[in-house]
This record gives sequence, C-alpha cells and structure tokens, in this order.
Amino acid sequence: MPDAKRALWKSRSEGRFSGLAALVLLLLVRTPATAQAAPWIMLMGQGIPSTTSVNPVPGGGSLTEVRLVQPVLMLQAAALADHLTFTGTANLEGLTIPNGELLPGGWGEGFYDRRHPHTYAHELLVTGQDLLRGTGLPLRLSLSAGKGFAPFGSDDPMSRPVFRYPVNHHLAQILERAVGIVGIRAGPVVLEGGLFNGDEPTGPGSWPRLSRFGDSWSARLTLLPAAGLELSASRAKVHSPESPSGAGPDDWKWHAAARLDRRVLGGRLYALTEWARTSEANGFFVLRSLLAEASFDVGGHRPYYRFEQSDRPEDERTTDPFRAVRPHLENSIVGITRFTLHTLGYGYGWPAARGRLEIRPFVEGTLGHMRSVGGGIFQPGVFYGKSSLASVALGVRLSWRMAGHRMGRYGRLLDEEAMPAMSGPMEM
Amino acid sequence: MFLRVSSGNLRSFLRLSLTGLLVGCGAGASPSGPTQAPRFVRQSGDGQTGQPGATLPPYQVQVLSGSGSPEAGVMVHWTVTCGQGSVAPDSSLTDASGIATAAATLPSAPGAQTVTASAANGIGPALTFSSRAAGVDSFAVLGGGNNVPERYSSDFWVAGGYAYTGTWNWIQRTGGVGGAIKVFQLGGDGAPTLVDSVLLTNVTTVSDLQVSPDGQWLVATAEGNTGEGLYALSLSDPAAPTQVAFAPVAAGLHTGTLSEIGGKLYAFTAKNPGNPALVVFDLSEVATGTITQVSSTPIPPNYGIHDTFVRDGICFAMVWNEGVYIFDVGNGVAGGSPGHPVMIGSVKTSGGEAHNGWWFWNPATGEKRYFFVGQEGPGAVGTSSSGDIHVLDVTDLTQPKEVASYHMNGAGTHNFWLDEPNQRLYAAYYNGGVIALDVACTLEGDLGFREIARVRPGGSGNTYVWGVMLSGGFLYAIDMLSGLWQLSTP
Repeated sequence: MPDAKRALWKSRSEGRFSGLAALVLLLLVRTPATAQAAPWIMLMGQGIPSTTSVNPVPGGGSLTEVRLVQPVLMLQAAALADHLTFTGTANLEGLTIPNGELLPGGWGEGFYDRRHPHTYAHELLVTGQDLLRGTGLPLRLSLSAGKGFAPFGSDDPMSRPVFRYPVNHHLAQILERAVGIVGIRAGPVVLEGGLFNGDEPTGPGSWPRLSRFGDSWSARLTLLPAAGLELSASRAKVHSPESPSGAGPDDWKWHAAARLDRRVLGGRLYALTEWARTSEANGFFVLRSLLAEASFDVGGHRPYYRFEQSDRPEDERTTDPFRAVRPHLENSIVGITRFTLHTLGYGYGWPAARGRLEIRPFVEGTLGHMRSVGGGIFQPGVFYGKSSLASVALGVRLSWRMAGHRMGRYGRLLDEEAMPAMSGPMEM
Repeated sequence: MFLRVSSGNLRSFLRLSLTGLLVGCGAGASPSGPTQAPRFVRQSGDGQTGQPGATLPPYQVQVLSGSGSPEAGVMVHWTVTCGQGSVAPDSSLTDASGIATAAATLPSAPGAQTVTASAANGIGPALTFSSRAAGVDSFAVLGGGNNVPERYSSDFWVAGGYAYTGTWNWIQRTGGVGGAIKVFQLGGDGAPTLVDSVLLTNVTTVSDLQVSPDGQWLVATAEGNTGEGLYALSLSDPAAPTQVAFAPVAAGLHTGTLSEIGGKLYAFTAKNPGNPALVVFDLSEVATGTITQVSSTPIPPNYGIHDTFVRDGICFAMVWNEGVYIFDVGNGVAGGSPGHPVMIGSVKTSGGEAHNGWWFWNPATGEKRYFFVGQEGPGAVGTSSSGDIHVLDVTDLTQPKEVASYHMNGAGTHNFWLDEPNQRLYAAYYNGGVIALDVACTLEGDLGFREIARVRPGGSGNTYVWGVMLSGGFLYAIDMLSGLWQLSTP
C-alpha cells in the first residue's frame, strides 16, 4: 500500500473508532435517565493457584509446574441509570505466567502446549446500553467501544466451569481487540455486529493497532427460545491475525453453539455444545472444532466434564519447543494436529465474606490423543514421543464476585438470569 | 456519516455527488463526445501446442471501431517474429465481423514460435500469438536421492565438482539441533556422493548457499538460534569447507546473493522480520576473517524481504506483498552503489507473496526484457504448496509490469534456474517436483502451453523440491524430504 494510502487508511480507521465512541456518548446524552438508579461501581477478581502435570510435553517426557493462573481484577461501573457502563479487566498473567501455562494442545500468539499470557488490559470498554428505553420501542440497543471481545463465538473459557482452556480458544473466541459493537435485541432475538482490528496481541503489554481498526468484522445472532437456553451462530472475517502489519492471509470463521444454564433438580445445570470452523488463506487450511461440556452445581459440589475434538495449526518452532517463530516468515505451516480430549473434574465451593468470595478447590484430569490431519511434516507421535496425552491439575479457584460471570458479552442484551454477576449487588 | 464531519469529508461527499449527477445526466444524453480510436483485439488461437511441423487452428484478431462495432475490410499483416515455422496468409482482410484470420505452421523441431499481427491504418498496437511445437521431452532421474535422511534439506549450490546443501531444522527430523551443510562430491558422471557434513552448531536453519564466482568461498545465510547471520567458509579444500568469517545478524538472514561490483565481492542479503531490510556486506576482506556491512535498506514489514537477484549492478528484491523492488546498486542508472542502494522501480505482482526471482537475459534475442518472480503461497511444509510464476516486463526498469504467469494445480513454485542459452526456465515446485518451461520468444498471458516436462524425483509423498541448479549439463534438485538429486534435462 502506498504511504499516502496507508496514512489515509490509518486516519480513517482511527477516525471510525473515535467516531463510534462519540456516537455512544451522543446517544447517552439523548437518553433520558431515570432517577431511581444511582451510579455504582463494583470490584471483582479471580485467581487460581494450581499445579499441573502433563505427559508428554514437546520433546517427550512429563513436566509439572505450579503457577498462579487467571489472576484477574475487574472493575465494573455504571451511571446514567445504568445506560452508561464501564468494564475494565486487568489480567496479570504477564507477571505470573510470562512463559505460559502448561496446556497440552494449547496454542496461540507464538505459544505451543502452553497457554499464552493474556494482555494486561484484557478489557477496557465503555458501553451505552438499553439506549432506546423510554422511546416505547420494544427493542434494546447497545453500543460498545474500547478493547475487549468481538461479538463472536462462546464465552471466554476463564468464566466457564472447566479449569483447562480448550484447544479451540482461538477458533471460538476473538478477544483483546479494539472493538466497536452494536447490539440490538427484539424479543428473544439478539443481533450483534462488530468492527475490530485483526491483529492478535504479540505479548502481555501489546495494544491493538488502531490503524487496523475496521479491517475485520464479526456478527453473532443469538436466539433465546426458553429460559436459560441460548442458540447462537457467529460469522467473522479476521484480516491477517498473525501478521501485525496486515501482510498475512485472512481467517474466515464460523461458530455455532447451544448453551443451557438453568436450575434443575435443586441445582444449577450448565451445558455448552459448540462447533467452530476457521478457514485460513482462502481455504488452504481449515481448522475444525467440536466441543461439549457440562457441569452441575448442587450444595457446593460441582462435577463437570468436557469433550473436545479440535484442530491446531503447527508452526515452525524456535529452540524452545514450546514457542513458534514470530513474526512469521511466510504463510506456510508445518501441519495440522487434531486433539481429541476428555476432561473430567470435580470442585467444591465454599462461600466466604458474606458470599462475595468463593473458594473452590478442584481436581481435574484430561486424557486424549492427537493425530496429524491435513498433511505437513509435523508428526505428533514423533514430536512428543507418543500420540496419547494425559494431564492432571489441582488448584483452588478464588473468585471475588466473579462466580458465574460471563466474560465477552456486552450491553446487557441477554436475560438477567443468564448474566448473574452483571445483576449482582451494586454499590457506590 | 454524522460521526465526524470535516471539510475533507464534505468535499468528498460533494465530489461524489457531483460525479454521480454528471454520470447520471451523461448516460444517453448526448451522442457527441471525444472520438475513441479503433481497437485491435486478440480473438482466439494464442497459446497452442502441437506436433513439430503441424499447422495449428487459426489465429484470429478483430478490429472494432471506437464505438465498438466491427470494422470490415481492414488489412492485417501476419509475420513470424520469433522462432521457426511460418504463417499463412501473410496478409488478410477483416470480414463483416471485423475478424481477420491466419494459420501458423509450427517449427519442424520442438520450440516456441511467435507470430505478430499488425493492422493497417495505424490501428494498434500489434498483437502477438505464441505457440509451441512440443516434443516427447521428459526429465530422467540419473542419480542421488534419499541422501540426507536425518534432516530436512534447504538451499544448495553446485560448483567445482561439489554440491553443498543446507538443512532446515525449524522442525527437527532425527538429526538433532544445529544447521548442517552437507558436502557432495560429483563423480565423473555427475552423480553426487556425500563426503562431509559441516555443522553450524548455533544455527537452526542454513537458509541459503552460494559459492563465490572464483570458487574460493562458500557463503551461507543462517536463521534461528544465536548463530543467525552470514557465514563465509573457505573452499581451499572443496571437500571440507572451513569457517573463516561470520557476521551476526539479529533475527537472521533468509537468503543472500553474491555479486561482484567494482571488483569487490558483495553479499546482498534479506534480513528477516521484525525489522526487515536489504543488508549488503562487503566480502572482499573475507580472507582475513572480515565481513563488513556496508548498507541496510529498510523494507516494509509485510513479511519483509525474501530473496534478491543481482545482475549488472541492479538488485531485484522480492518483498512479499510489496512485490518487487528494483535498486541500482552499482549499475549507474541512478547513482546507486552497494553502500547506497537507490530504488529505481517497483511493481506489485498479482497475489503478492513475491519470494524469488531471475532476470532473464536472452542471448538469442539480446533482450533483457523479462524478470521471473516466484510466488510462495500458503502450504503445509512437506506435502502441499501454492503460488505461481509471474513474469514481469522490465524493459523499463522504472516501470515494470506483469505480462504473464504460469500456474500448476496443486503445487506452488520455489526457486528457479534459467538455462539462458536454451531459453528454458527450470523451477522447483515443492510437492509438484521440478518443471521445465520454454521461455523463448514473447511471453504473454498464461504460459501453461510452454511446459516442456515435469518430474517428482522422490516420487509421491517423498518430493518437496526447494531449488534447482544447472551444472555440467545436468540439472540438480534439492528436495527437503529426499535430498540431492541428479536429473537429465528434457
């Protein structure tokens, strides 16, 4: 792209982003505030001290590590009768797991078999919600701008019952982008659309390239046919996710899911089944995922299970076999590995601090196997010394008001019951 | 949009609105307007193959008036302008459909032929039709193969009766860490025999290799690990190269090209992202263990720069989605030098991903018209690949333009070698093996009909050819999976 054209695009991208933020404010000013809802602010947080044992790791053998993972501080605030909300999430994994968390099958942002640390500014978002209240229209409209999740796929794994991240994290969520999101709900139908920058973060301290804002988009349609039941379908085009300059090929993503979260038999049943497909480089590479997970909470007990079969692209490795060459030298990969995993776990939660703190020890085990699909020289049986895998994790999930919080949805477009943390106690 | 209304936006809006009004009003409003010149277009017949001496289905051109209606009665002259054979008639009139026809007879021996059609009355420009007389040509595997089983092979060079092959270790095979250079001695029949292996211990991949024109030095680029950079090895014993100099380059070098300019030997290297650059090293003091960097020209970080081709003081840099950059590095056309490359032209090749190239000097015609560009598309290393060969017309180095391309279904190209006296392009095609293209005469459009032969030396599942090189009458091919091969040319 010639310099002048590139500068124009950069200027337009940044203009679009600031324009969206201006639109949020404009609509907020026009929206009548009701007197009864006072501004509020709420602090939330989570951290999981844990030990994880994995066999095999790259190069063969086993490895055990103790880490503090998912250390998150979250601030939510609202004003103007809840029309204006702020979501800020600090993720401190860059400090506690700078070299990633052991995770067989995990990948992304240059990490392999280790989950990469998320960026410090995980979410930083202003939302104008329920902007049509008072107009008499049977619609809920929200506008969001900032850094956060694009409207695509399922909830962030951090806010789901299973401790280990799924292999499909980069197939089923798009996060830590500069996003502009419009969401609208009419009856049981929710439609969200968003623009964002395609580039993936390159490290815990990295920020989205505003010059690339708008080069990627996503849309998610959610149906709410019954209480606690959601059916969703998402589509996204992500431009050059792996090359920050924008030189890489595009990803075209599909996602469909059914999610159930309701009270049954004296407890709370959660279930999610999702299908995801990412087509890269005009369909040259196709990555597929099928995942089903469920948990049942009753009297503090939480047994849970996940089945996952997901594809992972294999990149050239550095001398550290857990890391891939970044930035890429070209658009080739060395193979695709399909992981088939069963994860079974059990946790028990104790409430403390008048119910604001939940202390939930857990034990979790994963068994599975991996095989090469789609060609390439990467042979998991050779790379790992065998094609089966196992991992065990022990930990304690410490949640301050985050229990049940769904990360990655904005604008209060879902039913209140489905967003328990969002409708929790508010105070100033 | 009402989000931000600036004077620039307003101007754009008004300009678009006015343009729309003008276009809308203009449609059918008035028959008058600037008179368009008649058009001379190719109708059919280009790019045929046939038996030597065969007469082909006719070539057809059409003459259209400025308003697009056929022009009858225009004289068209037909001439064989390249290659042997004939065309008849040598002149024909356009019919009521504006079409003129002639039939070409191919050369009596395999080879390309170009026929030029020129219309009378200054209607033009002239059009060319190229076809090829195909023989029963094929490659033959003569020797080598499956001779580097413990590592994946990378680039290579053949000189002085030896072949030096690099290794690619971004994913290890069974040979452990370190980039190796394999040394093959070529027998009297040209067959390679492995005689030595030099290990660059702190290198992941030996990415490129070339022997200096005087045969004294083997120069290698390296990437990955702490030993990234440029290596020079002495070939005083060509069977056992020994390292004499090393210039470290953070992030590594993807490729390098040697060229003598002003009596000095230089390496023009491609520095990897994140801060890609064309980095030039002076190798004239390499005997004393000294390699001196003389310039570093930044390249936009669109995956950066992949390869260079240097000839006559002109450096072509293949810069991925930016296409091809052309620098004066000592030719004199723009005052450039190795220490101060001056960019004189650029072109974005279709599809981007410009990877490697070759400036074709055609001794048969004296032309320096064509530059071949390899596109490296997505692939799964070892089994699949993509990317075409693109042909640029560089008659004007300041304004190169793409004129032709070659596509192979199911495979993509990598490095080239030109047999210039015989006007043949040999291209490595990864899982597609090796192909030979007839690049004589005019190159235009789809070059599929110019394919002479192809071979997958390691067979299905064991072929992923990185590069080819002609030496001693044989074509050598280095295959990532199956090592060094000796082939006969078709």
